[in-house]
This record gives sequence, structure tokens and C-alpha cells, in this order.
Amino acid sequence: MFSRLFAAPIQVSAHCDLPCGVYDPAQAKIEAESVKACMVKAAASSDADFKARALTIKEERSDLVKHHLWVLWTDYFKPAHFEKYPQLNTLFNEATKLAGAGGTKASWDVAVADQLLAKIDEIAVIFWETKKAAA
Amino acid sequence: MRRLGTVLVHGRSMEPTLHEGDRLLVLYGARPRRGKLAIVRLPDDATGAPRPLAVKRVSSRDPDGSDGWWIERDNPREGLDSWAVGAIPTDGIRARVILRLPAPNISWPRLRMPGRGR
Repeated sequence: MFSRLFAAPIQVSAHCDLPCGVYDPAQAKIEAESVKACMVKAAASSDADFKARALTIKEERSDLVKHHLWVLWTDYFKPAHFEKYPQLNTLFNEATKLAGAGGTKASWDVAVADQLLAKIDEIAVIFWETKKAAA
Repeated sequence: MRRLGTVLVHGRSMEPTLHEGDRLLVLYGARPRRGKLAIVRLPDDATGAPRPLAVKRVSSRDPDGSDGWWIERDNPREGLDSWAVGAIPTDGIRARVILRLPAPNISWPRLRMPGRGR
């Protein structure tokens, strides 16, 4: 009788897909995918409020992409990695620029978001190689 | 069928509105309200694994015009929302959040008998 009125208690997630405090290029990637979604959804919408929201989110999450990349660049990767992968500094420089004022933060061009995602993927490949080497 | 229930919040994506360990009173089967919190079933992740039920803010209808809902995280820095996973179909909205229950160890205001001044 009671259970007809009350459901059993459950746990709900205020959710991240990734454990906190663990280095993972997927964090930058998820935010970059959101940035791309802002561009696509805003272009398809005729609702001024929704477009304004998309603009705010696009700027916030472009900054977050930079933040997550910087954490990898400055905290995760060590001098030996930069020696082994001499392109790494340039990749980070290009990726963070693509998320910046000259990139997705200001642009509505989906191609820019795709370039950003491709750079993050390149960094992710190197990241997982270094993880494997360390294991 | 509508049913009341309680949920325990885990994670940080709804900070500063909700914190880890908060308990919420929810109404299952209730229609979501724009601007209010809801318990939602997020789509499966990239590997096809189901994600846990989540608490999010319902911001609008699906901008693509389906009868689904657009949900957002309150924490600008962490968590998933419709900008990452798309609109949530109607049957993915499981419950409406009615209120946050007071923590069990709060100190209740002391009640004094009238006329018994201190």
C-alpha cells in the first residue's frame, strides 16, 4: 500500500562521464563537442532566447576546452614526452588557439569546431601512447 | 502513475544549487516544468553503456521541435547536458524535483513554551 505512494530511494548523478582528478583528453573533447552543438543548434533555431543561450554556452565551453588542454599541456606531459613528440607543443598551441578568440569562441563556423576536434584527437593519440608506455 | 520518492545526489554538475549528499523529494511521472529540476535518463554513452539517472535543469523544449526536452547542468564547468548529449525524449524524464529535503543533522530552531521567559 505504502509502495503505491512512495518509490524506493535511489541515487541520482549530477553527472560527469569521467572521474574527477584524472587526466583524460576526453574532457576537452566533450566540451568541444558541446561547442560544435551550440553552432549547429543555433543555426537551426529561430528562437532568439535559445540562440543567446547557445552563444553563452559556446563561449563558456570554448574556455573550458582551453582549460582542459592546458591542464594536460602543463601538468600531465613531462619533458621526456615533449622530446619524444616534438610536435606536441605546436599541437597544443594550435588546439588552444582554435578554441580561443580567433577560433570557436568567436566563430560560428562548424568547420572551425571540426578542426578543434581533430587537434584534440591528435593530442589524445599521443596521450594514450604515453599512457601505454608508462604502464 | 505518479509516485513520490526520494533521491540522493551524487556529483558536482548541479553546483551550486545541489551538493553531494543532498536529498530531494521527487514526483515520478510528473510532467517537467521549464526552469525546474528533473530526474532524467541520459542517453547511453559512446560505448553503449547506460548512464545513471541524473538530476538536471529543464531549460526548454527540444529546439528541433520534437516533444523532447532540453536539459542543462547548473555548474558551468562540469557535467553533461543537452549541449553534449542532445534533447531528452519525453519518456527519459522520470520525475520532477519538488524540493530539497533538509539534512538529517540540521539543528532545528528551539521551540520555547510561551510565557516561560528565560
